Amino acid sequence: MVRTIIRAAGRYLVLGVVLVIMLFPLAWMFRVAFMSPGSSIALGSLFTGDFTLGNFTDLFVSGSIGRYLFNSAFVAAVVTLGNIIFCFMVAYVLARRAGFWMKAFFATVVLVLMIPAHILIVPLYVLMLKTRMYDTYWALILPWLVYPIGIFLVKQYLEAIPPSMEEAARIDGAGEARILLTVVMPLCKPALAVLAIQAFFTNWNSFLFPFIFVSREELRTLPVGLAHYQGQQAIDWQHLMAGSAVAVLPILVLFVFLQRQIVSGITAGGIKQ
Amino acid sequence: MSQSRLTALILLSPWILSFLVFWLFPLVYSLVMGFTDYRLVARDWTWVGFDNYRSLLQDGAFRSSIENTLVFVLGTVPVTTILALGMALLVNRQFPGRGLFRAGFFMPSITAIVVIALIFTNLYQRGGYIATLAEMVGVTPPQHGWLYNEGTALYAIMAMDVWMAVGYYMLIFLAGLKSIPEELYEAARIQGAGQLRQFFSITLPLLRPVALFILVINSIKSFQVFIEIFVMTKGKFDTASMVYFVYETGLTTAFQFGYASAAAYVLFVIIALFSILQFALLRRRQSLW
Repeated sequence: MVRTIIRAAGRYLVLGVVLVIMLFPLAWMFRVAFMSPGSSIALGSLFTGDFTLGNFTDLFVSGSIGRYLFNSAFVAAVVTLGNIIFCFMVAYVLARRAGFWMKAFFATVVLVLMIPAHILIVPLYVLMLKTRMYDTYWALILPWLVYPIGIFLVKQYLEAIPPSMEEAARIDGAGEARILLTVVMPLCKPALAVLAIQAFFTNWNSFLFPFIFVSREELRTLPVGLAHYQGQQAIDWQHLMAGSAVAVLPILVLFVFLQRQIVSGITAGGIKQ
Repeated sequence: MSQSRLTALILLSPWILSFLVFWLFPLVYSLVMGFTDYRLVARDWTWVGFDNYRSLLQDGAFRSSIENTLVFVLGTVPVTTILALGMALLVNRQFPGRGLFRAGFFMPSITAIVVIALIFTNLYQRGGYIATLAEMVGVTPPQHGWLYNEGTALYAIMAMDVWMAVGYYMLIFLAGLKSIPEELYEAARIQGAGQLRQFFSITLPLLRPVALFILVINSIKSFQVFIEIFVMTKGKFDTASMVYFVYETGLTTAFQFGYASAAAYVLFVIIALFSILQFALLRRRQSLW
């Protein structure tokens, strides 16, 4: 009896230490975000320091963070919606038809999954310049409307569902568009949910491409805005962390509600950034 | 063309367009540019054959970027994998509060890298928390903190990266642990095998495919490290990675598109080898789970 208690206590002690290590930096960010500018952020003042919403009002009223927030939300929402629609369309055909061409198309999806996107920064930058998409929302949205991993996920899911419902609908005389929207899409909901979450998270957190495709301040997303802010001379940590908190909070809230889908997306061989 | 074929083509068109414009074209374009002296400001460009690749061999900055990237990959990937396995074992069994710990461990993995890099920039500074803690145990940080100091900067970034990635791979290990049948452990217990023996004879061998998969995908990701280096040191203090080199030569000051493209292709070949390995493992894994 005593031994089990000691063992359990030991386990929780280890777990607790690891949890503190994993969460401290994020907790620190949230705490500093609420401290008034110029105040000490040294050890101890975390507990004794003041508590103000001033940094956030500064950022939203006189700073541009409202604009960054809008850009992040707008771009991520459009990209997510695009992925739900387009990946579904493509995956449906690839899952339900056979033959040489289908194999060839799927091979391109797999091929792209193996290409490290970061090596394409130069040609994509030139492409954006030449097509005049540079410095527009198009540059932030168009390249990411069809994530290959999304096609992969939905196709795998569809292949596990027998096509009997679609065939029944077809015999009843339903058109292809109607079958897709009212029969197949509802069946795919779990896979599409996983895809939507991945698309949203990936896009919300992404930095490199939004950073190189855009130079106008009005088009910066939150991560890009934060990086530029940090690039200025003396760092004002209280404001910078308040801005960071704005970037992190939506993701944390979504995570709390959608934990199960996020985990299943990862274990299905998903991507993060 | 039959109507059914036309429907298929329409449904496939988003991918066909996206593949051609945003993947195939840049890939080919980049290969071609690598053999030219194309730059942003130059009106004209000429073929230079393998000159860019030859210059890369001579370029000290490129060589040190390869070195830094290798140090980064070889240093972070094994450590992350081992810690992720340890954490997965810690939260695998059922106990009160398990969900909370799992979620907490995973949280850094869903936070934007930019934000994490900003936080650690402060924590690593002289007077920052990590530095203060180190002083408490008798380790004196360098004058400007670990980040603004050649010789420690890269390792500081690597440590942060392990912290950031470990929860993600823990989840993949957890899925692998779930797939090990409980009967195996029962049989081992009946035969009198202790916990340690069970771990080395059952858990570890059966986790091998998952561990291998994690090693490969983490390597591929780590070879592309850029954001944390950009935010924290701007490539200074001997931290520039290969992607950073591509960015710096291709998209800043001189905008040497040709030269940067050649460098990117070298990186591409390295990662492609790992990716092929990844796909082979992924196919095997699907039949496993």
